[in-house]
Amino acid sequence: MKQKMINRNLRKGLTHYGWEGALLGLLVVEILLFGLANPRMLDVNTLLFSTSDFITIGIVALPLTMVIVSGGIDISFGSTIGLCAIALGVLCQAGIPLPLAIGLTLLLGAACGLLNAALILYTGVNPLVITLGTLYLFGGSALLLSGLAGATGFEGIGDFPAAFTDFANLTVLGLPMPLIIFLLMTLFFWALMHRTRTGRNVFLIGQNARVARYGALPVQRTLFALYGMTGLASAIASIVMTSYFGSARSDLGVSLLMPAITAVVLGGANIYGGSGSVLGTALATLLIGYLQQGLQMIGISSQVSSALSGALLILVVIGRSASLNRGLIRSVFQRYRRRWSASSSLTS
Amino acid sequence: MLKLIQNNRELTALLAIVALFGLLGAMDSQSFSFQTLGMIFGSAQILMLLAMGATLVMLTRNIDVSVGSITGLCAVSLGILLNSGVALPLACLATLGVGIAAGLFNGVLVAWLRIPAIVATLGTLGLYRGLMLLLTGGKWIEGLPADLKSLSAPLVLGISPLGWLVILLLLAMFWLLSRTALGRSFYAVGDNLQGARQLGVPVNRIRILAFAINGAMAALAGIVFASQIGFVPNQTGSGLEMKAIAACVLGGISLLGGTGSIIGALLGAYFLTQIDSVLVLLRLPAWWNDFIAGLVLLAVLVFDGRLRQALDKNLRRQKYARFQPKTLAKKSPTKPSSTRASRRMKANKSGLSL
Repeated sequence: MKQKMINRNLRKGLTHYGWEGALLGLLVVEILLFGLANPRMLDVNTLLFSTSDFITIGIVALPLTMVIVSGGIDISFGSTIGLCAIALGVLCQAGIPLPLAIGLTLLLGAACGLLNAALILYTGVNPLVITLGTLYLFGGSALLLSGLAGATGFEGIGDFPAAFTDFANLTVLGLPMPLIIFLLMTLFFWALMHRTRTGRNVFLIGQNARVARYGALPVQRTLFALYGMTGLASAIASIVMTSYFGSARSDLGVSLLMPAITAVVLGGANIYGGSGSVLGTALATLLIGYLQQGLQMIGISSQVSSALSGALLILVVIGRSASLNRGLIRSVFQRYRRRWSASSSLTS
Repeated sequence: MLKLIQNNRELTALLAIVALFGLLGAMDSQSFSFQTLGMIFGSAQILMLLAMGATLVMLTRNIDVSVGSITGLCAVSLGILLNSGVALPLACLATLGVGIAAGLFNGVLVAWLRIPAIVATLGTLGLYRGLMLLLTGGKWIEGLPADLKSLSAPLVLGISPLGWLVILLLLAMFWLLSRTALGRSFYAVGDNLQGARQLGVPVNRIRILAFAINGAMAALAGIVFASQIGFVPNQTGSGLEMKAIAACVLGGISLLGGTGSIIGALLGAYFLTQIDSVLVLLRLPAWWNDFIAGLVLLAVLVFDGRLRQALDKNLRRQKYARFQPKTLAKKSPTKPSSTRASRRMKANKSGLSL
């Protein structure tokens, strides 16, 4: 009896968390494979501290998951990161105390996100198109600000106080600071998405925005919150990156755009909205990040690793697509077999 | 007036171009000339080619974010072929082949394997970029032969051979999209997939064809890039995919498929390049470029979005007017709805995202 209960719970867990389980398995296999090639990869400290190089992908991918689940998308966060970093640098140069500067940067990030939401709701135009426009606007503002502040494109704005540059290299309970931020955010967004009414609303809006509106769900408020959180997370990512690299540049976030969307998709979110998982995104971030790190560690150049992560995305998505359209594939297969057997019986 | 703009969305891009030239003429009357027009056309060719390809893909209600990588991959393969002594025409053909193959792969992923277009091309974006860097080993390709550069030298009327090719392609594609059954089926697939299938349009083949032509255009853009610059840096083409999509959106091509014309995409591409050139002529620092491009793009989008919403509201009022009490209906006399606008409204209704 008890065994049966456990079995049922196990099956329920598998169907609920099947994709996350698969990702976790892939992650373990990946780390072990790299460990075979280079034992240093299996060192716990290496595993923990190499996350600082890529964890900002996850910091923006988490709220982005919610945006994508709600049926929208935000591609402007890369530029928002650049804008926030430059703003932080300019504020520090102007002699504004650090806590205030950080607060203002966070506000700026949230304002960028809210502007996205306002434009999307005001015009009713496809979010991809609107955020493409704000991608140029925010990126242009970052360039403008850094140009007006007299910073060159390659060096950016440096000379931050040491207290700030040490921040990203702090360890708490033996864990690096960026990883802690990421874990806390994962917990927060997991609870928000899968354990609150707001989270259910996000799924429902993604399933059918029209019905959600007729059902008197607070669609506008929810969307404002989602895009605002994405902007806020971009600001957090920009602060972490600026602190980690020690300089603020306008192109800090450009390299995050594609990996973050990849993490969301790999994490099991439907790009058309309606389904997705915060936990999956978090695991996919680690999967992508360790792939880059591991390839670097066994001496494969970063050029090949970009090709490999692209190929990985395609393969995983083909696999998912195949498992989702299982009935279709079976019917096509049977049709071909019937045709083949019919033609062979004709010839014989 | 509003109706005219709504039915001919290219006009907004054209207006923007004329306004920008007007600004240039007012600020600095010497630099505005026919030569300036030609010069901007010269530097807009790459974006124009990419926008033409992106138009086809967007008409079928898909999106391709991998074109920048295809452009880079093709420029690199052209450089490697030429430097290893292959004749120019043969190398160009092979480059086109590479582009078409890359586009076909995208198309197969989307049409046959049923992967959402943005996800599939996001994957190939990394894949093709990696292949390109693998081919070069991360180095720049230099020392390209002189006959490649002569392809971009002025030939007739100050326009280079490749420039004439772009114009020829434009005319061909305009004819294809507006006058042939094949061209119209691109619109049909994007407007209503199920309906197109029932009309007998080979839906999957059309979508794959759109991606393949897009790949070919990206390959041409790579050739133009190599011949204009004379060398191939290892970040060739990155960021171009967003610019191509922005050009199409500016020109009135809907991401929801089925609306827009090739002329609009071209005007959009021309405008985005024109901003850069005009800023140089006005002696403004280069860091204004993206800011102004973003502002204009957003202004066009907001204007277009509001216009469309107003039209929709108007249509709905007409539809339900006869169910309202007579006195109310008399107060607001309505015109009969146009078939074109109602079709567009249906296209809007069917898609919520992407």
